[in-house]
Amino acid sequence: MAEPQQALSRTFPVKPKLKAKSKKPSKTPESKYWSSFKSHTIPNLISSITSLSFSPATPHHFAAAYSTSLTLFNSKTLEPISSISSFKDVVSCASFRSDGLLIAASDHSGLVQVFDVKTRTALRKLRGHTRPVRLVRYPRSDKLHLFSGGDDAVVKYWDVAAESGVVEFRGHKDYVRCGDGSPATMKINHGKPVEDVIFLPSGGLIATAGGNCVKIWDVIGGGKLLYSMENHNKTVTSICVGKIGRDGGEGSEQYRVLSVGLDGYMKVFDYSKFKITHSMRFPAPLLSIGFSPDCATRAIGTSNGVIYAGKRKVKGEVESGLREFPSLGLMEEPQRRVLRPSYFRYFHRSQGEKPSEGDYLITRPKKVKIAEHDKLLKKFRHKDAFVSALSGKNPENVVAVMEELVARKKLLKCVSNLDTEELGLLLAFLHRHSTVPRYAGLLLGLTKKVVQMRAEDIIASDVLKGHIRNLKRSVEEEVRIQQSLQEIQGIISPLLRIAGRR
Amino acid sequence: MIKGGKSLVSSPPVFSNDAKKLLVCTGCTVSIFSTSTSLQITELEGHTALVTSVVVVPAFTPSSKILCYCWTSSLDGTVRYWDFSLPELMKTVDIRLPIFSMVIPGILSQLAETDGKTPNLFAYLSVENTKIQDDQPKVHRKILKCNLTKSRLAAGVILAETQQPELITISSSGKFFGVRNKRKLHVWEVIAHDHEGAPIKKITLHHTKNLTVFAFHPTERIVAAGDVTGRILIWRSFGRRTFSMGDGLMNGRAMNNEDERPGVRGDDDADSCATWHWHSAEVKVLSFSSDGAYLFSGGKEGVLVFWQLDTGKKKFLPRIGSPLLYFATSLDPSLSSVSCSDNRIHLLKMPSMEILKSISGIKLPCSFPEIYEGLHSRFIFDQTAGLVAFRTENYCIQFYSLFDDRENFEVQICERNHQPSDDVTVVVTLMVLSPDGSMMSTAETKFPEEGLGGLVCLKFWTSGSQSKGFILSTIIYEPHRDAGISAIAFHPTRHMAVSSSYGGDFKIWACSHEIQQRDQTLQNSGWTCHAVGSYKRKPMTAATFSADGSVLAIAAETVITIWDPEKNVLVAVIGETLEPITMLSFIGKSEYLVSASRGSKSQLSLWSLSKLSESWSYKLQAEAVACVMDGSYFAVLTLLPRSSKHTELTETKIDGRDGAILLFNVGEPIPVTTWFVKKAKGGGLAFIHVNSASFKGNVSDGKLPPALLAYINGNHEYVLFNPYNLEAHEPSMVVREKPVGIEDETGKFGYASIYGALPEFDAKRNQTELAPLLPSEKPWETIFCGSSHNLPPITKLCSAFLESLLEKRTPVISD
Repeated sequence: MAEPQQALSRTFPVKPKLKAKSKKPSKTPESKYWSSFKSHTIPNLISSITSLSFSPATPHHFAAAYSTSLTLFNSKTLEPISSISSFKDVVSCASFRSDGLLIAASDHSGLVQVFDVKTRTALRKLRGHTRPVRLVRYPRSDKLHLFSGGDDAVVKYWDVAAESGVVEFRGHKDYVRCGDGSPATMKINHGKPVEDVIFLPSGGLIATAGGNCVKIWDVIGGGKLLYSMENHNKTVTSICVGKIGRDGGEGSEQYRVLSVGLDGYMKVFDYSKFKITHSMRFPAPLLSIGFSPDCATRAIGTSNGVIYAGKRKVKGEVESGLREFPSLGLMEEPQRRVLRPSYFRYFHRSQGEKPSEGDYLITRPKKVKIAEHDKLLKKFRHKDAFVSALSGKNPENVVAVMEELVARKKLLKCVSNLDTEELGLLLAFLHRHSTVPRYAGLLLGLTKKVVQMRAEDIIASDVLKGHIRNLKRSVEEEVRIQQSLQEIQGIISPLLRIAGRR
Repeated sequence: MIKGGKSLVSSPPVFSNDAKKLLVCTGCTVSIFSTSTSLQITELEGHTALVTSVVVVPAFTPSSKILCYCWTSSLDGTVRYWDFSLPELMKTVDIRLPIFSMVIPGILSQLAETDGKTPNLFAYLSVENTKIQDDQPKVHRKILKCNLTKSRLAAGVILAETQQPELITISSSGKFFGVRNKRKLHVWEVIAHDHEGAPIKKITLHHTKNLTVFAFHPTERIVAAGDVTGRILIWRSFGRRTFSMGDGLMNGRAMNNEDERPGVRGDDDADSCATWHWHSAEVKVLSFSSDGAYLFSGGKEGVLVFWQLDTGKKKFLPRIGSPLLYFATSLDPSLSSVSCSDNRIHLLKMPSMEILKSISGIKLPCSFPEIYEGLHSRFIFDQTAGLVAFRTENYCIQFYSLFDDRENFEVQICERNHQPSDDVTVVVTLMVLSPDGSMMSTAETKFPEEGLGGLVCLKFWTSGSQSKGFILSTIIYEPHRDAGISAIAFHPTRHMAVSSSYGGDFKIWACSHEIQQRDQTLQNSGWTCHAVGSYKRKPMTAATFSADGSVLAIAAETVITIWDPEKNVLVAVIGETLEPITMLSFIGKSEYLVSASRGSKSQLSLWSLSKLSESWSYKLQAEAVACVMDGSYFAVLTLLPRSSKHTELTETKIDGRDGAILLFNVGEPIPVTTWFVKKAKGGGLAFIHVNSASFKGNVSDGKLPPALLAYINGNHEYVLFNPYNLEAHEPSMVVREKPVGIEDETGKFGYASIYGALPEFDAKRNQTELAPLLPSEKPWETIFCGSSHNLPPITKLCSAFLESLLEKRTPVISD
């Protein structure tokens, strides 16, 4: 009774039916962070992406090794910068030096080469491995040495400048596939072929990937197995350490293990709580993963030559550029002219004023936006409203308008009044959406009625015949789906019956 | 004893002279509302039947504006004179004929006041002559003249006779008045110095359609009339020939040539007749503005149209939301009121056509398609807060306070625009409140158009802050596929509800609210399906929870199935009745369950859960059943059978009393008390809990009754009374006060008079002992015991044995 005027003149626009909300709890801040990487695909690379490595230096370019070439990508634009293709065999691994100026790459011929990132010339060629080299890695801070390992079961520590090996580790009894630098020796039995191994940032733990599990080992504590994460369905191919950026909510500045597997999943593992915090699916087997040190880019390589690169905007990046205003002398204060009623601005004065702390705000009532079809429905122009909704993009709105017309008992009248062009619009809509489960209840019946009512018009027009053909196809497809679903039901229902009996 | 729920729109309302009060006929009283607050100020009580018209004595000088005198007429055959500021009855004129309408031309003309001595005041009444029997062919609705000063009818003056009781319309100057009679309009002129035998001249205006309403122009000789097709006819300069002759001017002949009278039919006495057509249905409201420049019209569309009289240009006040009935202007030109058929009076600010205030009465029953006239759907009661909720036509639910007799709030159930003239395509079929009143559930059905697009929708609501309104919590589309929902019931303590469908299944819904409290980050609390059950694919027709919520009873057509709501396990099946059960209810905290079924063999049955059998049953058509929450009483509203042979019963069925309220104690099948009521069809019953703050009624002994019984009749008038007090003391309270529609009887007589008429009663009454499922003795176990030489011959034993078996079966078959 307080607002009788509003209560009377209130009109309700047509609304689509509500969608069911998922019962799952809403995203945690962390999974929001991980899904905030905007997905880009870099397609059309030859063969599988065997390795991805990010440059530790600030532009954080990343190198993707595939086939017999190594390509550098810009991590901001995700465009290829340069490509190194002076390899005789498939490139297996690449690693940046700590300053990002040099990159070492190994290939299946047993050669390890060190390139200048800028000029792409091979500065050093390290020969020594007799079998394909699987691993090459610069240590964290050492600029003069690197180590490599290969199928000859030898890990070599090289002096890069002299092109000569310093130490050889012959402790391995199998192919060396991977490795990471930290001075310690330990023998750990993963149980399955180890696909990847990394040292975690604390230095005391290592994570190994093999089979379909990722295991965390305590190296300092005597090589104890701390946890085995078995959430992948297929072999885990690569792991790397990711960091939650500063704006990632409560868990920011924390490290996570990112793992990818042949099952197409990328999983984020919190190794302090031993919990999977995020999981993401990609449509291809994944072979390699890299994560940029500034938390802005994540790259995932697949077995079919596609890189799924994820990029996120880092706050504060934009602001830094603007701050550096040179304070050269005194800036002249712009003279304020007194506003007079003869100025146009006089009438707009103080409209941009911001409210101060204690001000009582009276907001202007929000303007109600009425859609075109609602306006027409208010004027009882039913067919026009129907056509206006059909020519829009949103199928939900079209169905909502149809439901409103049903409530006014005008839908069939509208259908019978449509001219050929509008009927084509309707038939195209029905072709696209009549088998969508949410709308099927109304649209399938309507399709039948439309075809019955407008049979003559459809026969007369070739365009409409085409629509009908499309419609027929989608209906046939739906029938096939239904049949196969029934078959599945037939298989499952006895099983359920048996299970229920127990 | 609290009464209320009167219709505000039975007759046109009238403004007082200062336009600060609005006099509204409400049943047998006249309620006076303040126009500034739209709240009721006082009431004129005295008439014993429906008040049909109010005439406020007008003021001509500013000083007399504060005078508050009015005349009222009523169906009880009296005209009364009131000072409504006090309020006080000043005079009663007894006509002894039911008065449908009254006008008093004398008080409207200034001449009456200027006279030194008080002249006779004449009123014109539209009455029904009840003395003449219906079988006589003579029309007995008349327009009569009455001398109010001398309190008698003017002898021999019968102005007109009509088929239907007609509303008399008068011009604001008091010079003309008239009635409509089918396709004719009779207009009389009032002469300045009226006396009893004065000849009154009359003209008749004709039209080809039935007229519905008409109005006189305040200053000029213009009359506007609306017809059933929505046309508005405007006759200008009517009665120039006939009426001016009395003044001695014989210029009527000048206007005689037919060509200069466009639109005027036949020999009607008018200069011209114009037709305006905008309304698509019949015109119900027609009124001129006080300066005569505008004409207001309205009708079924719920749109008030302002016509500029000279040009015929229109302005609109749309979306009033329900058909308009009356329009009243006040002496204050900026204020007028429009009455709508949804029992609401809007006060309009005039030039801007804004609605200032609304006076909302109880929503009147509105017609819904027959199939959805379920038993529980008409009203629901909030037993603790003393509210009753009605469905309205514009997809709302009105919550009406029984104690305060005014609307509390409205909840919009479907977000749809309502056009009063549209067909009903969306219906709120069910509404249920949880026992504590904090949750509500509604079901709505959208009818399909030629099999397309029908939809059943279940909604759950939670009450908003400060118990004002409800907020939508969950919508469930097609909860039982496309089958209609037959009943919804809430768990008494937990956030749980059950909905049963005609499609043969029921679903238990649980609210995730409890989970939400633990995890504060989750804001959306919704209702989700907890369990589904069905019994032999039979349509589920009613559902209820027991008082502690541990038992769920669901009627599967004729049998009652008992379930454990937590584990969704069928516990027991009790049955069966002759017709499908439409209502189920546990009686307080007792082990008894009452069921009602409708149809040709309607039945009211009490079931014992401890014995799993029927205790007793009556062949009654129960309209409503109400149970006390914590007690063993329950009340049943039943319709009396139409054809009763007993003279005893017909005697009690005077004044159209067609129903009875029976108050039962659970233990015995004899009703404790019986009341006979009017208009029981479509009525409802409930026990309302009383908190001392809201009830300051006439409790003589100082202690509050545990619960009041509320009865709402088919016209949504209600009465609250204490059912227990009557048996403890003498039932004089109800008898003396004579509430509308209720007359009480002492229990024993009422019982005897009713149940004499019901032949099945005695046969069914004492079935408790013969309960089929728990036989008291088992002769076949003992009959063959003992040594064989002691046993009787096998032929004798056999017959006894078979008889014992047969005996057990008989009550079951006869059921």
